[in-house]
Amino acid sequence: MKLRTKLTLFNAISKLVIVILFVLLLPVLIKNININYTDSRLRKQRDEVLQTVKNVGIKYYIEDGKSYAGYTPIKDVYVSLDEDTTAENLDNIKNEARKVEADTIQYRILSHNFKADKKKYLLEIGISLDTVNERTAPLQSIAFMVLVVMIILTILADQLYSDYILRPLGLIIKTKLIGQKFPNFGSYKQVETTTDDFHHLDISIHEMIHTIESTFQKEREFISNASHELMTPISILQSKIENMFEQEDIADEIKGRLLEMQKILNRLKSITKTLLLISQIENDQFLKEDQIRVSSLLQEVYDEISIRFQDKNINYSVEVRDDFLLVNINKFLLFNLLFNLINNAIKYNHENGDIHIEASHENGEYVVEIIDSGIGINPADIPFIFNRFKKLKQSLQQDSFGLGLPIVKSIADFHRIRIDVASEKEKGSTFKLIFPASLIGR
Amino acid sequence: MNVLIIEDEKALAKELEIFLTNYNYVCEVCYDGTSASERVAVNLYDFILIDLGLPDYEGLDLLKEAKASNPDAAYIILTARAEIYDRIKGLDMGADDYLAKPFSLLELQSRMQAITRRKFGLKNNIVELGEFQVNLTDRIITHNDIEISAVTKKEFDLIAYLILHKNRTVTRNQLSEHIWGSIINDDYDSNYIDAHIKNIRKKLNAFGPPDWLETVRGLGYKVKINA
Repeated sequence: MKLRTKLTLFNAISKLVIVILFVLLLPVLIKNININYTDSRLRKQRDEVLQTVKNVGIKYYIEDGKSYAGYTPIKDVYVSLDEDTTAENLDNIKNEARKVEADTIQYRILSHNFKADKKKYLLEIGISLDTVNERTAPLQSIAFMVLVVMIILTILADQLYSDYILRPLGLIIKTKLIGQKFPNFGSYKQVETTTDDFHHLDISIHEMIHTIESTFQKEREFISNASHELMTPISILQSKIENMFEQEDIADEIKGRLLEMQKILNRLKSITKTLLLISQIENDQFLKEDQIRVSSLLQEVYDEISIRFQDKNINYSVEVRDDFLLVNINKFLLFNLLFNLINNAIKYNHENGDIHIEASHENGEYVVEIIDSGIGINPADIPFIFNRFKKLKQSLQQDSFGLGLPIVKSIADFHRIRIDVASEKEKGSTFKLIFPASLIGR
Repeated sequence: MNVLIIEDEKALAKELEIFLTNYNYVCEVCYDGTSASERVAVNLYDFILIDLGLPDYEGLDLLKEAKASNPDAAYIILTARAEIYDRIKGLDMGADDYLAKPFSLLELQSRMQAITRRKFGLKNNIVELGEFQVNLTDRIITHNDIEISAVTKKEFDLIAYLILHKNRTVTRNQLSEHIWGSIINDDYDSNYIDAHIKNIRKKLNAFGPPDWLETVRGLGYKVKINA
């Protein structure tokens, strides 16, 4: 899951939890607030009554021992003042029912007793609970709406900010990691960010890539230089051996040994030339400007390789179902790719074995398949067959040094040709070359 | 014919000189660009073999300079730096051929022969071999005026190479370097030359005995021409 998605999800879920909690708590909260508010109103009323009694005297409310009681017309507030007979001091607020005329109404009642004119009086002030609750509903809905609006606003703000703050990370991933051909990353461009962590990440990635790149570069340069440097001494040795071989006074026995030397030198030469070729391919020193029909290319390879079928009496067949034109290729390299694959198909084949080549355009893919009836490859070994100097246990005691398939791989990579290998022991192998559309001409 | 060898590797220059002298060329050797530049200014040569990787001189500059004073000479570039761009540049600048080190001395000689034939426009270059006639210009083999068309291009290449180095033993390595030299593969000891020779003998035998094509036991092959 992407970081941004995770943050958004967390953001939304946490807000949702807050909303639910608040919705659950809201009635209780509002009720409490209301009660507190009502109570303070009650106390204010009480203080006013007491103040009046103090200033004017109890007579203002009570004359000749009658009790005082007052209601508003809808009976939402009531005040009563009466002589008190209880001994203890009272000053509390509680919910109680009072019968007013015909109705029994729930009131929140403040009871307070006090002395005036040597008599004890009980003051009761009540506010009907219906009135209190009437206020609760609109308060609740207002609070709820404010909450929703604020939550939407914070979600939006969070989203915008996390988008803004995560943009450098997205850029780093998009420009530095995805779609880069390893190890050719091209030039470094710093990602703009004010976040230290992203800056650090960007720099670290750049430094790692740089290290990898320079290591690759050094390896390629080393192989290229080493093989170039080897060419001259090999050349001198070869010339010396050839000159000695031509000398008339040399016995046949010595000539035989010179020939052995020539063979060994040839081996050294082949390895060096092959390594040099691979390094030249990897250093992009070949042009891709040729074009050729796949049938012509296969014919050219056949002309060179057909002599090799003779020894094992191999049955070679080619089926070009779709003769597509290859463009933007290097003919020399593609020739060598096919030559090496077919050469391997011969080397690892049985007597009277088969090699079948198929060129076709199927399901939008341009494919050349080399199918042999040879000894096959152990499935566990398939991932390693393209490694340099890798000789698999099964490979026969052949006169080869394990660079045939690495050449194939380098050339294929250079042209962005995909190779699929399928093989079954003792049944044979199939090498499938899948050409990208960019190499196909009209 | 006069040959100027410009090669900074003394050991290699020496072997080139020995080999070409054997083939009746008159050789002069320069180990650096400065002396070569002086030499081409005063002498005329038929062949100039030039190593592009000289320590004191830009190889292509030297080539340009030499071409100014020796316009009729044939130029063959020898280099260990087998970059394709050099090759294109070298041939563009009027080099007649190009050999990447390491090369076989026989290959060098065959290239020089080819240039000679081209330059002097030798026609009807026909070699008599027993009952057979090999036309090196038209690349055909005939037996009593009947063309043997079964002989493939590769097979003709082999015969022509052996004729060029007639009466000398040419090893399998030298032959395969000549006909498969540009193919890069990881076999270093192939005996496919034998298969080719076998096929050639079989095809020619249908017309007459190709006695002139000899196997030198354990060493290689030879075309024998009594001249």
